[in-house]
Amino acid sequence: MLLNFVIVIVSMLSAISTFYLSEHRKQGAVRASALLSLMVGILFSLFKSSIPTDYYNQIPVAFIGASFVGMVSSRALQHFRLVGFAGFIFGIIYINSSHFFKGYGGALGTSASISIMVTMCVPIYLSKRKRLNGLIVMRKWIFRNNKRSRKKVH
Amino acid sequence: MNKTIRFIVIFLLLIFQILFLSMIGLENYQHKKWQAILFIVGISALLLIAYLKAPLHHHEHDIEDILVAIWVPIGAVVCYSLHTYLHLEIVISAGITGTLASFLPNLNKKSDYLSKLPVAIYCGTFVGMSSVNIAKNIGFIIAAGIFTGVLLLLSKNLFLGVGGKLGTLAFVGVTIASFLYYILHI
Repeated sequence: MLLNFVIVIVSMLSAISTFYLSEHRKQGAVRASALLSLMVGILFSLFKSSIPTDYYNQIPVAFIGASFVGMVSSRALQHFRLVGFAGFIFGIIYINSSHFFKGYGGALGTSASISIMVTMCVPIYLSKRKRLNGLIVMRKWIFRNNKRSRKKVH
Repeated sequence: MNKTIRFIVIFLLLIFQILFLSMIGLENYQHKKWQAILFIVGISALLLIAYLKAPLHHHEHDIEDILVAIWVPIGAVVCYSLHTYLHLEIVISAGITGTLASFLPNLNKKSDYLSKLPVAIYCGTFVGMSSVNIAKNIGFIIAAGIFTGVLLLLSKNLFLGVGGKLGTLAFVGVTIASFLYYILHI
């Protein structure tokens, strides 16, 4: 249980830090993801003896997977919040990932792209224009209904 | 023709993503039925909305240079040999390959060709991250790398800026290669 929690936190951090390095520090997506993962991988192998085996096996893999989420360009996701949310979804998919595709190269990337696409749906429905439009449509709908009901009453 | 290729590539990726999700659902279905169903249906619905509504694709369809796609199998072989023959951790070998690849454009900053290489090599790295149980020999990795390279050729203007595009292409390449191996050995 604690491991799952740590995985979700690590994937959010990883996605956000990769996004920061690639977009705000202009290092490019490939270098940001590869360099951060390399650093985490080396750090974990240096302290191999003092880290529990489960954590040693899972955390670096979750980190590199979530760093693929952070490779998203700022045209697709603008805010750190959204990237963090995508990392959160990646963590959940990673925890539940199937044994059938275990060891397939690219499975992590697939989880990452699924979580990015799911997150890209959020601005579509939360953008101000759409919300206002929705409110106007709803108001019209209520207004018209009122009129009709009044007519019926009279 | 271009429209057909575009449609086929998008459709292929959607099919593989839904396959990936449904395997998660099938395995969790035995223990937690409702949670699995809600999870799969919810995420698949959002995925479909993203495919239909989000600005994922450009309408014109370009094809990547074939000389760029050649680097996909090379990246795959480098990453695979690092973690199989030198017994490095998977994450470290992928990190080394990717970091070295990301410094290639610094050799000549004016070169347009060199600037495209990191993406191709990093895409190959994901193929090379396959475990030894799936990729039994280096021939498998080369085959999967070539399939992925072809997909990278065809998907230049699709899924622009979506993190995980390269990984998904690698996943499709590896799955096709393992499926072909499965058929050919029986």
